[in-house]
Amino acid sequence: MEEGKAYIESGILELYVLGQLNAQEQAEVEAMALQYPEIKQEMAAIEIAMEQYALQYSVSPAEGLEEKILGQIGHATGSEPAIVKEAQPAREAVVVPIGNTAAYDNKIKTLRLALVACVALLLVSVVALYSAHNELGSAKVQIAELTLDRQKFTSTVNFMKQTNEDLQKIADMNTDPNWKIVKLAGTTMDPNANMMVYWHVTGRHVMMDNSKMHLPVTDQEHQYQLWALVNGKPVDLGVFDVKNDKSKILVNMKEIASAQTFAVTLEKRGGSPSPTMDQMIVAGNVSI
Amino acid sequence: MAPTKKISLSEEELVSKLKAQDTLAIRALYDMYSGALLGVISRIIPQTEVAEDLLQETFIKIWNSAISYDPSKGRLFTWMMNIARNLSIDKLRSKDFRNSGKNQDIENNVDFIDSQKEITFNADLLGIKDMVTALKPEFNAVLNMVYFKGYTHVEAAEELNLPLGTVKTRIRMAILELRKNFN
Repeated sequence: MEEGKAYIESGILELYVLGQLNAQEQAEVEAMALQYPEIKQEMAAIEIAMEQYALQYSVSPAEGLEEKILGQIGHATGSEPAIVKEAQPAREAVVVPIGNTAAYDNKIKTLRLALVACVALLLVSVVALYSAHNELGSAKVQIAELTLDRQKFTSTVNFMKQTNEDLQKIADMNTDPNWKIVKLAGTTMDPNANMMVYWHVTGRHVMMDNSKMHLPVTDQEHQYQLWALVNGKPVDLGVFDVKNDKSKILVNMKEIASAQTFAVTLEKRGGSPSPTMDQMIVAGNVSI
Repeated sequence: MAPTKKISLSEEELVSKLKAQDTLAIRALYDMYSGALLGVISRIIPQTEVAEDLLQETFIKIWNSAISYDPSKGRLFTWMMNIARNLSIDKLRSKDFRNSGKNQDIENNVDFIDSQKEITFNADLLGIKDMVTALKPEFNAVLNMVYFKGYTHVEAAEELNLPLGTVKTRIRMAILELRKNFN
């Protein structure tokens, strides 16, 4: 009790009511008030005194201040100023998004245009690519055709070159005394058969003229064999087939240094070491 | 729209309605205490227009801070009075107020209020006027400085060149005098 009384008489409660204490001091006073009922009671008496004192010195506020305060508080009972104040910002708040929407609309329009342009560009690109692909395909076909043509031409040119060379050789033979042109005539075995053999005496070359060969076509088991008769003895000059394609005119055979007669016999495929005389189809003597 | 009938509620009702953000509480508080609070404010800021702005601020702060009021720590009026006093003292010390040129010498405030008090007295309390003014002048001076002029009790002690304990005692004596008159 004594502690409570001393506390009261220190004057701290008055300072508390007058809001003169810091937070720590306030908390201390509040704790003391809880602990000592007489402190609580004293504090209430001070508060009531200050309240009465304030009421005694009342100053009446101007008319309309209450409505102004209630309007400021917001939830006021529908006083005019409150409505006007709230309506204006609301109207402004509506205006701002309209401006923004217009800006967004413009942006969307621009983006839409860009999208259309992109799609158009894509379509053009696809068409261009497709046509380029087609053209490439036809170009490939053309290249293949041209390559084939070129190959044909090349082979034709080669053939003609060869033919030309051979023909030139044959033409030269007439003026060259070293070339002996031997005409082989058909025997009793086939009187219609005949062929030409060219022989270069010093060069020993023996050639057959494929373009002037008229012999019956042989079967698979047989071949023709060319012979030279040298002083009555037959010398093998190689086997050959009758070819339908006359791409090569001159056919080289084995060489021979001297010969009086050339003859062809029909022999088994691969040839024979000596001629089968009853199978001789053509023969011709070398003219001196 | 001037209220024809003053609203008066018990302290418990006031507190519960205020905490429930019922505007009826503010109406009642205004009817019961606007004069007393404006009196406290006017003692510190005598300019009527500024004082009424501060009263408005006080009620808005009472409304917005209602949740922080703890009835176990003191009476509702003490809490409101301290809001009004703190706002007024802040205003008194604010740069824009001191620069406004409107403010008067602080020493004149009490005389200014004294000249007004004949017409502002609450009629119910008219009878105790003489008792209040009969407070011992030296006790009254300290209370006035702390209660009405925005001094802290420490500043008052320095201003009056008195020990802090003496200032505390004088404040207590002044209030005890008031209590004799009211109880």
